[in-house]
Amino acid sequence: MIETNFRLSCTVNGEPIERLVQPARRLLDLLREDMDLTGTKPGCEAGRCGACMVLVDGQPMNACLMMAYQCEGRSVVTIEGLSGCGQRHASGSHPAESYADEPHPIQRAIVAEGGLQCGYCTPGIVISLAGLYNRTVAPSREQIEEALSGNLCRCTGYEGIIRAAMRASSHPDPTP
Amino acid sequence: MEKPDDDRSSSEGAAASSPLNNRRSAGRWMERPDGAAKAAGKLVYLTDMKKPGMLHGKILRSSYPHARLLEVDVSAASQMPGVHAVLTADDVPGLNGYGIVTQDIPVFCTDRVRHVGDVIAAVAADTAELAAAALSAVRVQYEQLAVIDDPALALAPDAPQLHEGGNVLARTRAAFGDADSAFDSCAVIVEEEYVTPRQLHLYMETEGGLFVPEEDGRLTVYSPTQHGYKDRLQLSRILAMPEESIRVVSSPIGGSFGGKDELNVQPYGALLALYTGRPVKMHNSRRESVRSSIKRHPMRIRMKTGADKDGRIIAHRADILADTGAYATLGREVLMFATEHASGPYRIPNVLIEGLSVFTNNGVAGEFRGFGGNQVIFALEGQIERLADRLGLDAWELRRRNLREADDPGPLGQKIAPTDGARQVWEAALRSPLMTKRGGGAQGEEPWLLRGVGAAIVMHGGGLGYGIPDPAGGRLRLADDGKLEAVFGFEEFGQGVISVLTLLMRDHFGCAGEDIRIVIGDTDTVPHTGSATASRATAMAWQAMQRLAPPFAESMLRKAAELLGCTLDQLETGEGGIWRTADPFPVWDCQSERSSPEACSPSCQTLALTYRQLAAAMAEPLVQETSFDFPVTSSATPAVGSHFLYSYASVVTEVEVDMLTGKVRVLRTDHAVAAGPVVNPMGFLGQIEGGSVMALGFTLTEDVVMEEGRYARQQLDTYMIPTIRDIPRQVCVEAVEQLPEDDPFGPRGVGEIGTVGLAPAVAAAVRNACGSWISRLPIRPEQLIRPYHAVRQHWRGGDIGD
Repeated sequence: MIETNFRLSCTVNGEPIERLVQPARRLLDLLREDMDLTGTKPGCEAGRCGACMVLVDGQPMNACLMMAYQCEGRSVVTIEGLSGCGQRHASGSHPAESYADEPHPIQRAIVAEGGLQCGYCTPGIVISLAGLYNRTVAPSREQIEEALSGNLCRCTGYEGIIRAAMRASSHPDPTP
Repeated sequence: MEKPDDDRSSSEGAAASSPLNNRRSAGRWMERPDGAAKAAGKLVYLTDMKKPGMLHGKILRSSYPHARLLEVDVSAASQMPGVHAVLTADDVPGLNGYGIVTQDIPVFCTDRVRHVGDVIAAVAADTAELAAAALSAVRVQYEQLAVIDDPALALAPDAPQLHEGGNVLARTRAAFGDADSAFDSCAVIVEEEYVTPRQLHLYMETEGGLFVPEEDGRLTVYSPTQHGYKDRLQLSRILAMPEESIRVVSSPIGGSFGGKDELNVQPYGALLALYTGRPVKMHNSRRESVRSSIKRHPMRIRMKTGADKDGRIIAHRADILADTGAYATLGREVLMFATEHASGPYRIPNVLIEGLSVFTNNGVAGEFRGFGGNQVIFALEGQIERLADRLGLDAWELRRRNLREADDPGPLGQKIAPTDGARQVWEAALRSPLMTKRGGGAQGEEPWLLRGVGAAIVMHGGGLGYGIPDPAGGRLRLADDGKLEAVFGFEEFGQGVISVLTLLMRDHFGCAGEDIRIVIGDTDTVPHTGSATASRATAMAWQAMQRLAPPFAESMLRKAAELLGCTLDQLETGEGGIWRTADPFPVWDCQSERSSPEACSPSCQTLALTYRQLAAAMAEPLVQETSFDFPVTSSATPAVGSHFLYSYASVVTEVEVDMLTGKVRVLRTDHAVAAGPVVNPMGFLGQIEGGSVMALGFTLTEDVVMEEGRYARQQLDTYMIPTIRDIPRQVCVEAVEQLPEDDPFGPRGVGEIGTVGLAPAVAAAVRNACGSWISRLPIRPEQLIRPYHAVRQHWRGGDIGD
């Protein structure tokens, strides 16, 4: 039998990993299925909703459109890595309590401003904003909108997300 | 705008009217208890769950919108390695049907398929890929039948009959006075047909979950729903298992909006788990979600409305035709709601509303936030605008002349809880700076951009309505670890019921967030408190707490007084435990676990006993329960489904129409909502902001187009919901909290009302911007686009024409 699997080495949330992956294995599946990093959400699996966004070398990418092998030699940061709490296992229990780990300023702002409701799109939103803040120190509303134009949210109407993004950017006045 | 941080220190006691996103009312702005875990990506949704030995389930759905099912051959699929079960109708031990009210949806079809979401078989396999391969190995023979893809076709005399009872699911009629002859005395009459789209809920988390056969023979269902006990009942019928043998865990949920109230994948996950004896995971792809999920009812609403020369509406007729798709689910109830709300918050002496909900092969329509109100209010408010235009009156003034009074009966003649909400939101709208611009159109930054302002008013009932069982309740418990538990059978799908319960606990007990544990969403632990639907959960939680908290507090204080050797009035509940309120006062000694008669200075406030100490001292756990029904009208013979508690809202909006592209952009919206006291400002604001953006999609882009019973839009690349680029630059939400002094009912719901008023407000604004009347949603750019020469002529001063 011919070995068709790809030997992938990259970092996920700062930790080096080495894995055999099938050529058609998506980054989304690698994270969710193989590594139990379920903070990365499938929403449309067509690159439209942004719920599965992760940072690849600091840039927000849809994990549903990226193949695992494309991450060779690169750094992948998921929502779990962003908040500095690493990897955990989604097996069985369903906690409803909040966690005490040190959150990213965007995560804090989005909770403080009501920038989330059901929360399913939130990891993707946070990742997109983190990518923006990697590039831009005090982004304008225009830049925030541009950064989030690939993220759909059905609950909040985006208002709380904008408040949070402006707050996180220490913008003096959240009105346009 | 003030900075949010400054507002949190503002004093208690909310003003009667407060712009929520400016003033963050009265120190109640509270972060969601589940917020940090959600933002960290650490909250495990039910579709994230896994178990060792888990199989993957998939569902085979019909290839045709309407066909006879001749043969289903699963033999090849069953023999595939890695496939553990291929189930069909023969494998259903109990009732082969489900539906919240009528169980007419086949779990598996036997002889006929009625829409492309109908289910023929279900597979469990080692991997999702294998399950998909097995589906394609199931051989199905169909004989295609004529497709009914329009309600009008369904009503044709020679139409094929989709159900034994025919093609009509429901008829409704509400009549007061004599509308038909009253039109004779009207000075003006307007008539129009309004068409509304098939809207997709588009919750971000598609349907799914984990189904686990337990060692003791029970089944655990981890799957989103809006009413865990209803799912348990429905599953017990299908599985022929006692309800007690099924545990439904139903929170957290990645959005629902009414869409996950009816069963979806649960029957298949449950059957596959029981047949294979292994945990089974189900998770719909987006395409499968679009194909199988319920939608908002497309409606065709013909309205005729007449007024006298002073603008008093004398006669109003509405004929509603709803496309309910292949099965009943809540189609009848949605039509009843639409019928009730089709005359809005207006006093009209002669009214005739007739509704018809019709079966077709167009998927299935059912419950969706707004519940039929969105469609009829769009039509009704369109009529008001047209009447005002014909009378040469200001449309807001026309509304004032016809607005209901606080003590008026409800729209179906039923006695309703009196509030002045209609007038409150009418007046609040006038405080919007946009209202000064409502007269005529104005030019935007470019000559081809025309701006206009429009407004609308909404009255929306909460609860399930008269004659429909609508139980409520709740439980408080002092847990062994000293937590004050609020235990309710509601689900958390984002709306913030956890926050609501936390805030209510804080209100009643003065306790801290860490003293509280909210227990919801698990039929093994929660009491029956009814569904988290129909804008009812906050209202019912508030009413339950009114009943539960005083006796629960008294029980705690009584026990504490006994332990401390003091009187009840020396104690109160507070942060961390029981606090002393009077001096001198005995102090609880942790070492001896006894009180010592040690006096304290009068200024010293002391925690006398922690909740944990109190719990440890209890011989029996302290539990307080209540059950009651959602309040209904006391009228003698009310119409079934008629409501008693109503919320009111007004929306003022400014739009900009690009005459060269026909595109409408909503620039600003000002909302006023009268729904009693605000329990949870963050949730309230989020419901209105979020609901109105959902309505923006309904108004401008969203329509699940179907062609001959098939979905022409199956993914988010063609079904367009608003993005962050599409929302208004400014949204203001004002809560009008004042209720009559003797009102015993407290907060009304706001879960739905934010989705209703935007469409008619935008339609009015578009008319005021460019002269075009909108009667069909979503607004089509083709209707508004003007030839270049007409636009050019316009910016030289001519009329742009309709």
